[in-house]
Amino acid sequence: MNDQARFPDRTTALVLVLVVLMPLVMPATLATQILIFAIATLSVILLFGSVGLLSFGQGLYLGAGAYVAGLLLRDVHIGLLPAILAATLATTVLAALLGAIIVRRRDIYFVMLTLAFAQMAYFAALALKDFTGGENGLSGLPRNFGISGLPIASPLAFYGLTGVLFSLAFLLVQRLNASPVGSVLVAIRDNEARTAAIGYNVAIYKLAAFAIAGGIVGLAGALHAAFLGFVPPTDIELEMSQRLVVMGLIGGVGSPAGSLIGAAFYILVSEGLSQVWARWMALIALLIIAIVLYLPGGLWSIGARLSAAAKREKHHG
Amino acid sequence: MSAQLLLFQILNGLGIGMIYFLLSVGLTLIFGLMRFVNFAHGAFYLVAAYLAFAITQATGSFWWALAIAPVLVGLLALAVERVLLRHTYAMTHQAQILITFAVALLAQEVVIFVFGPQAQNVPMPAEFSGIVSLGPYVYPAYRLAVVGCVTLIAIVLWFVVERTKLGATLRAGSEDTEMVGLLGINVDRVFMTTFALGGALAGLAGVLAAPLRGVEPFMSVEALGIAFVVVVVGGLGTLLGALLGGLLIGLVQSIMSTVWPQGAQLMIYAAMAIVILARPAGLMGRS
Amino acid sequence: MADALLSAEEVGVRFGDFQALSGMSIAVEPHTIHALIGPNGAGKTTFFNAITGVRRPDTGRITLEGRPITRAPAYRRVRYGMARSFQVTNIYPALTACENVRLAVQARHRREGWIFWRSPAARADILDETGALLSQLGILDRANTRAGELSHGAQRLLEIGMALGANPRIICLDEPLAGMGIDDVHRTKSLITDLRKRMAVLLIEHNMSVVLSISDQITVMSQGRKIAAGTPDVIRNDPSVRAAYLGSAA
Repeated sequence: MNDQARFPDRTTALVLVLVVLMPLVMPATLATQILIFAIATLSVILLFGSVGLLSFGQGLYLGAGAYVAGLLLRDVHIGLLPAILAATLATTVLAALLGAIIVRRRDIYFVMLTLAFAQMAYFAALALKDFTGGENGLSGLPRNFGISGLPIASPLAFYGLTGVLFSLAFLLVQRLNASPVGSVLVAIRDNEARTAAIGYNVAIYKLAAFAIAGGIVGLAGALHAAFLGFVPPTDIELEMSQRLVVMGLIGGVGSPAGSLIGAAFYILVSEGLSQVWARWMALIALLIIAIVLYLPGGLWSIGARLSAAAKREKHHG
Repeated sequence: MSAQLLLFQILNGLGIGMIYFLLSVGLTLIFGLMRFVNFAHGAFYLVAAYLAFAITQATGSFWWALAIAPVLVGLLALAVERVLLRHTYAMTHQAQILITFAVALLAQEVVIFVFGPQAQNVPMPAEFSGIVSLGPYVYPAYRLAVVGCVTLIAIVLWFVVERTKLGATLRAGSEDTEMVGLLGINVDRVFMTTFALGGALAGLAGVLAAPLRGVEPFMSVEALGIAFVVVVVGGLGTLLGALLGGLLIGLVQSIMSTVWPQGAQLMIYAAMAIVILARPAGLMGRS
Repeated sequence: MADALLSAEEVGVRFGDFQALSGMSIAVEPHTIHALIGPNGAGKTTFFNAITGVRRPDTGRITLEGRPITRAPAYRRVRYGMARSFQVTNIYPALTACENVRLAVQARHRREGWIFWRSPAARADILDETGALLSQLGILDRANTRAGELSHGAQRLLEIGMALGANPRIICLDEPLAGMGIDDVHRTKSLITDLRKRMAVLLIEHNMSVVLSISDQITVMSQGRKIAAGTPDVIRNDPSVRAAYLGSAA
C-alpha cells in the first residue's frame, strides 16, 4: 500500500558517510567548495525533481544570499552563524515574493520568467554598486570566524561547518520528499490539473517549494561568501544558474543525493581537466545531451539501477 | 540628450532592431510552429558571425561572408535537427531546453577552440564604410544599408509566408500541427525546413551585426536572451510580432544605453517578464 | 429550488465568438441522481467545467448549499463539498492506484497536506479509508499496481474513486461509463446507485439505458441550451428530445 519515499534510508547513510570521508581523500577547501555547490544544487533538484519546475534562475538567490551575508559580516560585524541564518531567511523571503509572481506561469514560461528575473537581478546587482561593489564584487570580508567562542580557523573546521549545514539541508529535502507535502509535490509534477481537482491549492504548494529552494541556495551563497572572503558578481550571473542546473542534471534530479554527485563530478572534472584541456566544457555539454537522451536520472540513477539489478539477482539466484 | 544624439540613437535602435527581427523571426517560427523550445538559437547567430569573421579574413570581402555564412549555418541547423533534435520532439519542453542548451554550450566551446576567447573585429564592407548625409547630420552608411537590406528580406519573408504554399503550411501548422499532418503534409519535412530557415536567418543577423559589434564567444547567450524577449513581447509565431518586437527592443536598448546602460538590459528582461505575466500572447499573438 | 443542493442559474460561457452555453440552469436535490444528456457538442462538458470551477462562466450564478461558488477556484469547491471525475481519464499514471486514492483522501484532511516532518504512512486512518474506498471500487487487489498499467475499466473506476476521496456532498461524474465493457458497466452502475445514499450525483452519460434506469432527474441539453428537464418517463416521451438527437445525427 505504500510506495512512498522512505526516510531515513540507505541513501541518507551513504551521503552522510561521503560527507565524513571527503576531506580524507581531498583537500578540505576543495571538499568545502563541492559541498557549497551541492547545497545550491539541492535547490534545483527540489524544484525540478520533486515538483517538475525547471528553474534557470537559482543563481539569483545564491548571489542574494552571498551579498546579504557579505554585507552583514563586513559592515555589521555579526558572527558567522547569525550572518548565514539571516541570509538564508532573507533569500527565503525574497524567493517567496518573487515566487508569488513566477509560479503563476507554467512550463516554458516559468523557465523564461526564472531566466528573466535572474538577468534582472544580475544587472541590478551591477547597478547597485554601493551595496554590491558592482563589477568588482564585494570585498573586504573578515577571514576569521568563530561560533560561540569556538574559532573556525582552519579549512577543516570550515569544512566541518559546511558539512553540518549540507547534511541539514539534505536531510530536510529528504524528509520533505518522504512526507505528505512531498507526496503533494509529486502529484503536482505528475498531473497538476488533477491535483487541483482533488482539492489542493497547487499555487501555494509551488510557492512553498520555491521559497524553500530559495532559502537553501541562499544558504549556499552565504557560505560561499564566507569561504571566498569576497562576493564576485559571477555568483549572481546567469552562468551560475546554468551551472547549478548542469550539476543537478549530471548528478541526477531524481534524488537529493544527485546534488552531491553532480557538484562533485562537475568540480572535480573542472579542476582535473581544466589544466589539461581548456575546452573541457564541451565534454560536459556532450554529457548533458547523453543524459537527457539516455539517462534522465543522471549519474545517481546508475547506482540505483545497479542496486535494483543486484536485488533481482538475489531473488532469482 | 541633444536632438542629434537622440536622432542617432533612434536610427541605431531601428537598425539594431531590424537585426533583432532577423534573429528572432526564426525562433518565433520554430517556437510557434514546432512548439519546440530552442535554446541553441543564439548559437546560430554566434557561429555565423564567426564564419563571417573567418571568411572576411580569408577573402577580404564581406560580401562572400554575407552570401556563404548564413547558408552554412542553415545547413548546420539542418544537420543538428536531423541528427539530434528530431528525437526530442516528443519529449517535455524541459528536456528540449536542456538539450538545446547543451548544443549551444558545445557550439560556444568549439568557437573558442577554433578562434580563441578574445573578441575580434569584423571590418565593414568597403562600399558602405563611409557616411551618408541626413540633412544637417551625417550617419554611418552601413547602418542604413542594414535597415535597407533587412527591409528587403522582411518583404521577401512576408511574401513567402503569406503567398506561398510553404508559408501556408507554416501558418496552418502553427495553428494546428496535428491537422496539418493528417492532411497528408510531410510534417517532418516542414519542421526540417523551418528549423534550417530559422537558423539561417539568425545566422544572417549575426553576419550583419558583426561589423557593428564585433564577435566574441559569449554573445550567443545575449543573442538568445534578446531573441526570446523579442518573441515573447512581439507574440509567438507571428512575423509582424517579431518585427514590432525587434524594433521595440532595439529602440529601448539603444536609447537607454546612453542614459543608463545597466538599466537598458534590466528593462528588456523586465519587459519580457511583464508580458509573460500580463499578456503571454504578446503584442501580436493570439490570446 | 430553495432546497436544491446545487443550483446553477442562467450560466453562460463564450469562447471568442462562439456562445457555448446560454441561460443554462439546473437544480440538483440532495441524495438524487441527476443526469445531463444531449447530443455531442451540446455543451455538457462546458457546463460541467463551469460548475466545477475549471472554466469561470461569463454570466450566471452557481450556488452550493446556498453558498455562491461562481468564482471559486476548483480546489476550493472540493472543500465546499463538490468533487468531480473527468471524461478523459485524468489520474496519476506513474503512481499506484493506492497512492492515487490516498492523495484524494489526504486532500480532505487539509492540515495533513502540510505536514513535512513525518511520513504519510503514520496516518493509519487515512490509509484505512483509502483501503475501504479501493475495496468499494473493487480494485483493492490492484492497489499496488501503477495506475497507468491498470485496465481501462479499472482506471475509470479509479477516476470515480479519487472524487470519492473528498467525501463530497455532490459528485460530478463526466461520462463515467465511457469505453467500459459490460461487466464494468454493471459494477459502476451499482456503485453510482449506492452513492445516492451518501451524496447527490450529477452525471453526464451517453449510455441511455443506464441513464433512464438510474436517474431521478434528467436535464437535456442541445446547442448550449436546456431543451427539456424532468423524470426519466417525462424525458422518454418528450418529442423535442428525440428531435434533438435525431436532428444531430441527420
